[in-house]
Amino acid sequence: MSHTLHRQGTADNLSGDYVLLAMSAKGVNAVNSSYALKDFFSIINKHDWANMGEVKVGGAYIASFQDIVGGVRDTSVAHAVFRDKDEFARVIAQVKKADLGLSVTISGLLGNLNETLEANGIKPHTVEVSLGIKGKTERLPHGDLLQITTMCGHGMVSQALVRKTLVDIKRGRVSLEKAANLLATPCACGIFNPRRAQLILEELMDTWCTDEP
Amino acid sequence: MRINPGKCIGCGQCRVFCTMGCIAFVRKEKGGQVQCRVDEDECVDCEVCLRAKACPTDALEQPPAVWPRSVRGTFSNPLVTHKETKVPGRGTEEIKTNDVTNRYKHGYVGISAELGRPVLGARLRDAERVFMALAPLAVEFEKQNPLTSLLADPATGKLKEDVLDEKVLSCIVETVAPIERAAEILDALDKVAGEIESVFSVDIISRVADDLSVPALEMLKRGKRPYAPNGKINIGLGRLFIKGAGC
Ligand code: SF4
Ligand code: SF4
Repeated sequence: MSHTLHRQGTADNLSGDYVLLAMSAKGVNAVNSSYALKDFFSIINKHDWANMGEVKVGGAYIASFQDIVGGVRDTSVAHAVFRDKDEFARVIAQVKKADLGLSVTISGLLGNLNETLEANGIKPHTVEVSLGIKGKTERLPHGDLLQITTMCGHGMVSQALVRKTLVDIKRGRVSLEKAANLLATPCACGIFNPRRAQLILEELMDTWCTDEP
Repeated sequence: MRINPGKCIGCGQCRVFCTMGCIAFVRKEKGGQVQCRVDEDECVDCEVCLRAKACPTDALEQPPAVWPRSVRGTFSNPLVTHKETKVPGRGTEEIKTNDVTNRYKHGYVGISAELGRPVLGARLRDAERVFMALAPLAVEFEKQNPLTSLLADPATGKLKEDVLDEKVLSCIVETVAPIERAAEILDALDKVAGEIESVFSVDIISRVADDLSVPALEMLKRGKRPYAPNGKINIGLGRLFIKGAGC
Protein backbone atom coordinates (compact mmCIF):
# COMPACT_ATOMS: atom_id res chain seq x y z
CA MET A 1 0.00 0.00 0.00
CA SER A 2 2.75 2.45 -0.97
CA HIS A 3 0.21 5.05 -1.97
CA THR A 4 2.41 8.05 -1.19
CA LEU A 5 5.33 6.64 -3.20
CA HIS A 6 5.74 6.74 -6.99
CA ARG A 7 4.77 10.43 -7.27
CA GLN A 8 6.22 11.70 -10.52
CA GLY A 9 7.53 15.18 -11.09
CA THR A 10 10.47 17.52 -11.47
CA ALA A 11 12.86 18.31 -8.64
CA ASP A 12 11.35 21.78 -8.71
CA ASN A 13 7.68 20.87 -8.26
CA LEU A 14 8.42 17.91 -5.97
CA SER A 15 10.15 20.35 -3.61
CA GLY A 16 6.67 21.70 -2.85
CA ASP A 17 5.20 18.35 -1.86
CA TYR A 18 5.49 16.76 1.59
CA VAL A 19 3.18 13.99 2.76
CA LEU A 20 2.80 12.87 6.34
CA LEU A 21 0.85 9.87 7.56
CA ALA A 22 0.25 8.42 10.98
CA MET A 23 -1.22 5.10 12.03
CA SER A 24 -1.14 2.36 14.61
CA ALA A 25 -0.23 -1.25 13.82
CA LYS A 26 -3.14 -3.66 13.58
CA GLY A 27 -2.92 -6.37 16.21
CA VAL A 28 -0.03 -4.62 17.99
CA ASN A 29 -0.94 -1.20 19.36
CA ALA A 30 -4.18 -0.30 17.57
CA VAL A 31 -6.63 -0.60 20.47
CA ASN A 32 -7.78 2.89 21.49
CA SER A 33 -5.24 4.54 19.17
CA SER A 34 -8.03 6.76 17.76
CA TYR A 35 -7.40 9.33 20.52
CA ALA A 36 -3.82 9.83 19.37
CA LEU A 37 -4.91 9.90 15.71
CA LYS A 38 -7.34 12.70 16.54
CA ASP A 39 -4.54 14.56 18.34
CA PHE A 40 -2.43 14.13 15.21
CA PHE A 41 -5.13 15.79 13.09
CA SER A 42 -5.40 18.62 15.61
CA ILE A 43 -1.70 19.31 15.20
CA ILE A 44 -2.05 19.25 11.40
CA ASN A 45 -4.96 21.67 11.49
CA LYS A 46 -2.89 24.28 13.33
CA HIS A 47 -0.61 24.52 10.29
CA ASP A 48 -0.89 25.61 6.67
CA TRP A 49 -1.83 22.24 5.15
CA ALA A 50 -2.52 21.63 1.46
CA ASN A 51 -4.73 18.61 2.09
CA MET A 52 -5.54 16.07 4.77
CA GLY A 53 -7.90 13.16 5.14
CA GLU A 54 -8.90 9.69 6.16
CA VAL A 55 -9.93 7.21 3.51
CA LYS A 56 -13.34 6.25 4.93
CA VAL A 57 -14.42 9.89 5.20
CA GLY A 58 -12.44 11.51 2.40
CA GLY A 59 -9.97 14.33 1.85
CA ALA A 60 -10.34 17.94 2.91
CA TYR A 61 -11.79 18.94 -0.48
CA ILE A 62 -14.90 16.85 0.06
CA ALA A 63 -15.13 16.59 3.85
CA SER A 64 -14.89 19.09 6.72
CA PHE A 65 -12.21 18.89 9.39
CA GLN A 66 -14.89 17.92 11.91
CA ASP A 67 -16.08 15.08 9.68
CA ILE A 68 -12.54 13.82 9.12
CA VAL A 69 -11.73 13.82 12.84
CA GLY A 70 -15.16 12.43 13.68
CA GLY A 71 -14.56 9.53 11.31
CA VAL A 72 -11.28 8.49 12.91
CA ARG A 73 -11.19 4.89 14.17
CA ASP A 74 -8.42 2.82 15.73
CA THR A 75 -7.74 1.39 12.27
CA SER A 76 -7.57 4.76 10.49
CA VAL A 77 -4.57 6.07 8.60
CA ALA A 78 -4.29 9.83 9.08
CA HIS A 79 -2.85 11.75 6.11
CA ALA A 80 -1.74 15.32 5.56
CA VAL A 81 0.11 17.18 2.81
CA PHE A 82 2.20 20.34 2.99
CA ARG A 83 3.65 22.47 0.22
CA ASP A 84 6.26 24.34 2.19
CA LYS A 85 9.37 22.69 3.60
CA ASP A 86 9.67 25.01 6.60
CA GLU A 87 6.04 24.56 7.55
CA PHE A 88 6.47 20.80 7.16
CA ALA A 89 9.51 20.94 9.48
CA ARG A 90 7.42 22.80 12.08
CA VAL A 91 4.74 20.10 11.88
CA ILE A 92 7.32 17.36 12.34
CA ALA A 93 8.66 19.18 15.41
CA GLN A 94 5.15 19.36 16.88
CA VAL A 95 4.38 15.73 16.12
CA LYS A 96 7.62 14.64 17.77
CA LYS A 97 6.92 16.83 20.81
CA ALA A 98 3.40 15.39 21.16
CA ASP A 99 4.98 11.94 21.58
CA LEU A 100 1.81 10.20 20.40
CA GLY A 101 3.45 6.79 19.92
CA LEU A 102 1.90 6.46 16.46
CA SER A 103 4.04 5.31 13.55
CA VAL A 104 4.72 8.29 11.30
CA THR A 105 5.88 8.07 7.71
CA ILE A 106 6.86 11.03 5.54
CA SER A 107 7.24 11.33 1.77
CA GLY A 108 9.04 13.83 -0.44
CA LEU A 109 12.47 14.48 -1.91
CA LEU A 110 14.74 12.32 0.23
CA GLY A 111 17.39 15.03 0.63
CA ASN A 112 14.79 17.47 1.97
CA LEU A 113 13.23 14.86 4.24
CA ASN A 114 16.59 13.94 5.74
CA GLU A 115 17.42 17.62 6.35
CA THR A 116 14.09 18.02 8.17
CA LEU A 117 14.71 14.95 10.31
CA GLU A 118 18.25 15.99 11.18
CA ALA A 119 17.08 19.47 12.17
CA ASN A 120 14.57 17.83 14.50
CA GLY A 121 16.98 15.28 15.94
CA ILE A 122 15.06 12.34 14.48
CA LYS A 123 16.79 9.23 13.18
CA PRO A 124 15.08 7.67 10.16
CA HIS A 125 13.97 4.09 10.73
CA THR A 126 13.07 2.59 7.34
CA VAL A 127 13.33 3.94 3.80
CA GLU A 128 11.38 3.08 0.65
CA VAL A 129 12.19 4.29 -2.87
CA SER A 130 10.64 3.85 -6.28
CA LEU A 131 12.56 2.08 -9.02
CA GLY A 132 10.18 3.33 -11.69
CA ILE A 133 7.64 1.85 -14.05
CA LYS A 134 8.22 -1.37 -16.00
CA GLY A 135 6.25 -3.15 -18.71
CA LYS A 136 4.21 -1.62 -21.50
CA THR A 137 5.10 1.97 -20.64
CA GLU A 138 4.20 3.00 -24.20
CA ARG A 139 0.55 2.56 -23.17
CA LEU A 140 0.87 5.28 -20.51
CA PRO A 141 -0.41 8.81 -21.04
CA HIS A 142 1.93 11.78 -21.35
CA GLY A 143 4.29 12.30 -18.41
CA ASP A 144 2.79 15.73 -17.70
CA LEU A 145 -0.51 14.06 -16.89
CA LEU A 146 1.21 11.47 -14.71
CA GLN A 147 2.73 14.22 -12.56
CA ILE A 148 -0.83 15.05 -11.54
CA THR A 149 -2.55 11.65 -11.51
CA THR A 150 0.21 9.95 -9.45
CA MET A 151 -0.49 12.26 -6.53
CA CYS A 152 -3.38 9.93 -5.74
CA GLY A 153 -1.55 6.68 -5.10
CA HIS A 154 -4.75 4.67 -5.36
CA GLY A 155 -5.19 5.91 -8.94
CA MET A 156 -8.52 7.61 -8.22
CA VAL A 157 -7.73 10.74 -10.27
CA SER A 158 -8.45 9.83 -13.88
CA GLN A 159 -6.42 11.12 -16.79
CA ALA A 160 -9.71 12.17 -18.41
CA LEU A 161 -10.43 14.49 -15.49
CA VAL A 162 -7.01 16.12 -15.84
CA ARG A 163 -7.51 16.54 -19.60
CA LYS A 164 -10.96 18.08 -19.11
CA THR A 165 -9.57 20.39 -16.44
CA LEU A 166 -6.87 21.62 -18.79
CA VAL A 167 -9.40 22.35 -21.53
CA ASP A 168 -11.70 24.13 -19.07
CA ILE A 169 -8.88 26.34 -17.81
CA LYS A 170 -7.76 27.15 -21.36
CA ARG A 171 -11.31 28.15 -22.27
CA GLY A 172 -11.60 30.34 -19.19
CA ARG A 173 -14.38 28.23 -17.66
CA VAL A 174 -12.57 27.61 -14.39
CA SER A 175 -9.70 29.17 -12.44
CA LEU A 176 -6.45 27.32 -11.85
CA GLU A 177 -7.18 27.13 -8.14
CA LYS A 178 -10.69 25.72 -8.56
CA ALA A 179 -9.49 23.24 -11.17
CA ALA A 180 -6.73 22.00 -8.87
CA ASN A 181 -9.20 21.67 -5.99
CA LEU A 182 -11.58 19.65 -8.19
CA LEU A 183 -8.74 17.28 -9.07
CA ALA A 184 -8.20 16.65 -5.35
CA THR A 185 -11.78 15.42 -4.81
CA PRO A 186 -11.51 11.78 -6.00
CA CYS A 187 -8.47 11.15 -3.74
CA ALA A 188 -10.18 9.58 -0.72
CA CYS A 189 -7.09 9.60 1.54
CA GLY A 190 -6.41 13.32 1.12
CA ILE A 191 -2.83 12.88 -0.11
CA PHE A 192 -3.38 14.67 -3.45
CA ASN A 193 -1.61 18.01 -3.29
CA PRO A 194 -3.82 20.55 -5.09
CA ARG A 195 -1.37 23.40 -4.59
CA ARG A 196 1.33 21.43 -6.43
CA ALA A 197 -1.26 20.46 -9.06
CA GLN A 198 -2.03 24.15 -9.50
CA LEU A 199 1.64 24.90 -10.23
CA ILE A 200 1.78 22.06 -12.77
CA LEU A 201 -1.47 23.16 -14.45
CA GLU A 202 -0.17 26.71 -14.64
CA GLU A 203 2.98 25.50 -16.37
CA LEU A 204 0.95 23.31 -18.73
CA MET A 205 -1.24 26.22 -19.79
CA ASP A 206 1.64 27.45 -21.91
CA THR A 207 2.81 24.12 -23.28
CA TRP A 208 -0.17 21.78 -23.40
CA CYS A 209 -2.30 21.21 -26.50
CA THR A 210 -5.37 18.98 -26.35
CA ASP A 211 -4.04 16.28 -28.66
CA GLU A 212 -1.21 14.90 -26.48
CA PRO A 213 -1.40 11.13 -25.97
CA MET B 1 -20.46 -0.69 -12.09
CA ARG B 2 -23.56 -0.43 -14.22
CA ILE B 3 -25.62 2.40 -15.63
CA ASN B 4 -29.35 1.94 -15.30
CA PRO B 5 -30.72 2.55 -18.83
CA GLY B 6 -34.06 3.43 -17.33
CA LYS B 7 -32.48 6.42 -15.59
CA CYS B 8 -29.54 7.59 -17.76
CA ILE B 9 -30.15 10.80 -19.72
CA GLY B 10 -26.82 10.62 -21.53
CA CYS B 11 -25.37 13.82 -20.06
CA GLY B 12 -21.88 12.30 -19.85
CA GLN B 13 -21.05 13.89 -16.48
CA CYS B 14 -19.80 10.59 -15.12
CA ARG B 15 -17.31 9.89 -17.93
CA VAL B 16 -14.41 12.11 -16.90
CA PHE B 17 -14.23 10.55 -13.46
CA CYS B 18 -13.81 7.01 -14.79
CA THR B 19 -10.33 5.75 -13.89
CA MET B 20 -10.38 3.17 -16.67
CA GLY B 21 -12.00 5.29 -19.37
CA CYS B 22 -14.63 2.60 -19.80
CA ILE B 23 -17.83 4.68 -19.86
CA ALA B 24 -18.93 5.31 -23.45
CA PHE B 25 -21.80 7.06 -25.18
CA VAL B 26 -24.15 4.66 -26.99
CA ARG B 27 -27.52 4.72 -28.70
CA LYS B 28 -29.72 1.99 -30.09
CA GLU B 29 -30.45 3.59 -33.46
CA LYS B 30 -29.64 6.73 -35.43
CA GLY B 31 -31.56 9.63 -33.98
CA GLY B 32 -32.33 7.66 -30.81
CA GLN B 33 -31.63 8.71 -27.22
CA VAL B 34 -27.91 8.89 -26.42
CA GLN B 35 -27.00 7.23 -23.15
CA CYS B 36 -23.85 6.09 -21.40
CA ARG B 37 -22.82 2.50 -20.82
CA VAL B 38 -20.03 0.93 -18.74
CA ASP B 39 -17.85 -1.66 -20.41
CA GLU B 40 -18.10 -4.02 -17.45
CA ASP B 41 -15.19 -6.16 -18.57
CA GLU B 42 -12.86 -3.14 -18.42
CA CYS B 43 -14.46 -1.66 -15.27
CA VAL B 44 -12.54 -2.39 -12.06
CA ASP B 45 -15.36 -1.53 -9.63
CA CYS B 46 -13.34 1.28 -8.05
CA GLU B 47 -16.60 3.28 -7.56
CA VAL B 48 -14.86 6.59 -8.27
CA CYS B 49 -17.68 7.52 -10.68
CA LEU B 50 -20.26 6.81 -7.98
CA ARG B 51 -18.43 8.72 -5.25
CA ALA B 52 -18.02 11.73 -7.56
CA LYS B 53 -21.81 12.25 -7.21
CA ALA B 54 -21.75 13.62 -10.76
CA CYS B 55 -24.82 11.77 -11.99
CA PRO B 56 -27.95 13.95 -11.84
CA THR B 57 -30.32 10.97 -12.05
CA ASP B 58 -28.59 8.42 -9.75
CA ALA B 59 -28.23 6.10 -12.74
CA LEU B 60 -24.92 4.60 -11.62
CA GLU B 61 -25.43 1.37 -9.69
CA GLN B 62 -22.93 -1.04 -8.19
CA PRO B 63 -24.40 -4.55 -8.42
CA PRO B 64 -23.55 -6.96 -5.58
CA ALA B 65 -20.26 -8.56 -6.57
CA VAL B 66 -20.02 -12.33 -6.51
CA TRP B 67 -16.84 -14.38 -6.77
CA PRO B 68 -14.62 -13.97 -8.76
CA ARG B 69 -15.83 -10.50 -9.79
CA SER B 70 -15.67 -9.52 -6.11
CA VAL B 71 -11.86 -9.30 -6.22
CA ARG B 72 -12.11 -6.22 -8.44
CA GLY B 73 -13.56 -4.02 -5.73
CA THR B 74 -11.29 -5.48 -3.05
CA PHE B 75 -8.19 -4.33 -4.91
CA SER B 76 -9.52 -1.24 -6.68
CA ASN B 77 -11.68 0.50 -4.12
CA PRO B 78 -9.61 1.79 -1.16
CA LEU B 79 -12.78 2.08 0.89
CA VAL B 80 -13.17 -1.68 0.91
CA THR B 81 -11.36 -3.19 3.87
CA HIS B 82 -9.91 -6.58 3.08
CA LYS B 83 -11.32 -9.26 5.38
CA GLU B 84 -7.97 -10.85 6.31
CA THR B 85 -5.65 -7.83 6.58
CA LYS B 86 -8.16 -5.34 8.10
CA VAL B 87 -6.29 -2.86 5.88
CA PRO B 88 -8.32 -0.89 3.35
CA GLY B 89 -7.22 -1.58 -0.23
CA ARG B 90 -4.67 -3.70 -1.94
CA GLY B 91 -1.60 -3.92 0.27
CA THR B 92 -0.24 -4.20 3.78
CA GLU B 93 1.04 -1.75 6.37
CA GLU B 94 4.53 -2.43 4.94
CA ILE B 95 7.01 0.35 5.90
CA LYS B 96 4.34 2.45 7.59
CA THR B 97 4.44 0.59 10.91
CA ASN B 98 7.87 -1.01 10.56
CA ASP B 99 9.13 0.83 13.63
CA VAL B 100 6.65 -1.24 15.66
CA THR B 101 6.29 -4.47 13.65
CA ASN B 102 9.89 -4.89 12.44
CA ARG B 103 8.44 -6.50 9.30
CA TYR B 104 11.63 -5.48 7.44
CA LYS B 105 14.64 -6.36 9.57
CA HIS B 106 18.26 -5.31 9.25
CA GLY B 107 19.86 -7.33 6.46
CA TYR B 108 16.55 -7.74 4.59
CA VAL B 109 14.76 -5.80 1.88
CA GLY B 110 11.16 -5.60 0.80
CA ILE B 111 10.65 -5.50 -2.94
CA SER B 112 7.22 -4.94 -4.44
CA ALA B 113 5.80 -4.83 -7.92
CA GLU B 114 2.50 -3.01 -8.11
CA LEU B 115 0.64 -4.20 -11.19
CA GLY B 116 -1.51 -1.73 -13.08
CA ARG B 117 0.00 1.31 -11.42
CA PRO B 118 -0.04 3.96 -12.75
CA VAL B 119 -3.26 4.60 -14.69
CA LEU B 120 -3.71 1.40 -16.70
CA GLY B 121 -5.04 -1.21 -14.29
CA ALA B 122 -4.12 -4.84 -14.85
CA ARG B 123 -5.60 -8.29 -15.29
CA LEU B 124 -4.61 -10.68 -12.51
CA ARG B 125 -3.03 -12.79 -15.26
CA ASP B 126 -0.25 -10.18 -15.26
CA ALA B 127 0.14 -10.59 -11.50
CA GLU B 128 0.49 -14.32 -12.03
CA ARG B 129 3.28 -13.73 -14.55
CA VAL B 130 5.18 -11.73 -11.92
CA PHE B 131 4.53 -14.33 -9.21
CA MET B 132 5.76 -17.08 -11.53
CA ALA B 133 8.90 -15.10 -12.36
CA LEU B 134 9.73 -14.74 -8.65
CA ALA B 135 8.58 -18.11 -7.28
CA PRO B 136 11.64 -20.05 -8.59
CA LEU B 137 13.83 -17.69 -6.52
CA ALA B 138 12.12 -19.04 -3.39
CA VAL B 139 11.34 -15.53 -2.15
CA GLU B 140 8.85 -15.06 0.65
CA PHE B 141 5.55 -13.57 -0.54
CA GLU B 142 3.98 -11.29 2.07
CA LYS B 143 1.29 -13.39 3.76
CA GLN B 144 -0.76 -10.38 4.88
CA ASN B 145 -1.13 -9.13 1.31
CA PRO B 146 -4.59 -9.89 -0.14
CA LEU B 147 -3.05 -10.83 -3.50
CA THR B 148 -0.98 -13.58 -1.85
CA SER B 149 -4.21 -15.14 -0.64
CA LEU B 150 -5.19 -15.68 -4.29
CA LEU B 151 -2.21 -17.96 -4.92
CA ALA B 152 -3.22 -21.52 -5.80
CA ASP B 153 0.35 -22.72 -5.46
CA PRO B 154 2.94 -20.47 -3.79
CA ALA B 155 5.73 -22.79 -4.98
CA THR B 156 4.99 -22.11 -8.66
CA GLY B 157 3.31 -18.72 -8.37
CA LYS B 158 0.12 -19.98 -10.04
CA LEU B 159 -2.98 -18.01 -9.10
CA LYS B 160 -6.47 -19.46 -8.72
CA GLU B 161 -7.64 -20.11 -12.26
CA ASP B 162 -10.98 -18.33 -11.93
CA VAL B 163 -9.49 -14.91 -11.03
CA LEU B 164 -7.00 -14.63 -13.90
CA ASP B 165 -9.21 -12.54 -16.20
CA GLU B 166 -10.35 -10.21 -13.45
CA LYS B 167 -9.13 -6.65 -13.87
CA VAL B 168 -8.08 -4.44 -10.96
CA LEU B 169 -6.88 -0.88 -10.65
CA SER B 170 -3.76 -2.19 -9.00
CA CYS B 171 -2.48 -5.08 -6.91
CA ILE B 172 0.87 -5.66 -5.28
CA VAL B 173 3.23 -8.64 -5.45
CA GLU B 174 5.05 -8.07 -2.17
CA THR B 175 8.23 -9.92 -1.18
CA VAL B 176 10.75 -9.93 1.63
CA ALA B 177 14.25 -11.33 1.10
CA PRO B 178 17.83 -11.09 2.39
CA ILE B 179 19.52 -8.12 0.79
CA GLU B 180 21.97 -10.43 -1.00
CA ARG B 181 19.03 -11.70 -3.05
CA ALA B 182 17.82 -8.23 -4.09
CA ALA B 183 19.73 -8.02 -7.38
CA GLU B 184 18.37 -11.32 -8.71
CA ILE B 185 14.81 -10.35 -7.74
CA LEU B 186 15.16 -7.03 -9.55
CA ASP B 187 16.67 -8.81 -12.57
CA ALA B 188 13.70 -11.20 -12.64
CA LEU B 189 11.29 -8.24 -12.52
CA ASP B 190 13.13 -6.56 -15.40
CA LYS B 191 12.83 -9.76 -17.40
CA VAL B 192 9.13 -10.41 -16.76
CA ALA B 193 8.35 -6.76 -17.60
CA GLY B 194 8.68 -7.74 -21.25
CA GLU B 195 5.98 -10.39 -20.89
CA ILE B 196 3.14 -8.46 -19.30
CA GLU B 197 0.29 -6.56 -20.95
CA SER B 198 0.12 -3.68 -18.49
CA VAL B 199 2.72 -1.89 -16.36
CA PHE B 200 4.00 -2.25 -12.81
CA SER B 201 5.72 0.15 -10.43
CA VAL B 202 8.63 -1.26 -8.45
CA ASP B 203 9.83 -0.23 -5.01
CA ILE B 204 12.41 -1.35 -2.49
CA ILE B 205 12.35 -1.05 1.29
CA SER B 206 15.29 -1.11 3.67
CA ARG B 207 16.00 -0.46 7.35
CA VAL B 208 18.35 2.45 7.98
CA ALA B 209 21.67 1.33 9.48
CA ASP B 210 23.05 2.72 12.74
CA ASP B 211 25.45 4.94 10.77
CA LEU B 212 22.39 6.30 8.87
CA SER B 213 23.39 4.59 5.63
CA VAL B 214 20.63 2.78 3.74
CA PRO B 215 21.92 -0.61 2.58
CA ALA B 216 19.37 -0.99 -0.24
CA LEU B 217 20.29 2.38 -1.70
CA GLU B 218 24.00 1.50 -1.52
CA MET B 219 23.21 -1.74 -3.34
CA LEU B 220 21.27 0.15 -6.03
CA LYS B 221 24.13 2.60 -6.53
CA ARG B 222 26.66 -0.22 -6.83
CA GLY B 223 24.45 -1.96 -9.40
CA LYS B 224 23.92 1.31 -11.26
CA ARG B 225 20.16 0.92 -10.88
CA PRO B 226 18.39 4.28 -10.98
CA TYR B 227 15.85 5.19 -8.32
CA ALA B 228 13.59 8.18 -7.82
CA PRO B 229 14.89 11.17 -5.82
CA ASN B 230 11.65 11.23 -3.83
CA GLY B 231 10.75 8.46 -1.42
CA LYS B 232 9.25 7.51 1.89
CA ILE B 233 10.74 7.40 5.37
CA ASN B 234 9.27 5.83 8.49
CA ILE B 235 10.67 8.22 11.08
CA GLY B 236 10.64 5.83 14.02
CA LEU B 237 8.20 7.56 16.37
CA GLY B 238 6.01 4.47 16.85
CA ARG B 239 5.82 2.83 20.26
CA LEU B 240 4.02 -0.19 21.69
CA PHE B 241 2.01 2.04 24.00
CA ILE B 242 0.15 4.82 22.27
CA LYS B 243 -0.73 8.02 24.10
CA GLY B 244 -4.30 7.93 25.38
CA ALA B 245 -4.72 4.26 24.57
CA GLY B 246 -5.44 3.52 28.22
CA CYS B 247 -8.52 5.75 28.16
S1 SF4 C 1 -16.33 1.78 -11.08
FE1 SF4 C 1 -14.36 2.72 -11.67
S2 SF4 C 1 -13.75 1.70 -13.56
FE2 SF4 C 1 -15.94 1.23 -13.22
S3 SF4 C 1 -17.07 2.76 -14.39
FE3 SF4 C 1 -16.83 3.61 -12.31
S4 SF4 C 1 -14.91 4.81 -12.34
FE4 SF4 C 1 -14.95 3.51 -14.19
S1 SF4 D 1 -23.94 11.07 -15.29
FE1 SF4 D 1 -25.70 9.66 -15.02
S2 SF4 D 1 -27.24 10.39 -16.49
FE2 SF4 D 1 -25.28 11.34 -17.08
S3 SF4 D 1 -24.41 9.90 -18.61
FE3 SF4 D 1 -23.56 9.29 -16.61
S4 SF4 D 1 -24.98 7.70 -15.86
FE4 SF4 D 1 -26.05 8.78 -17.53
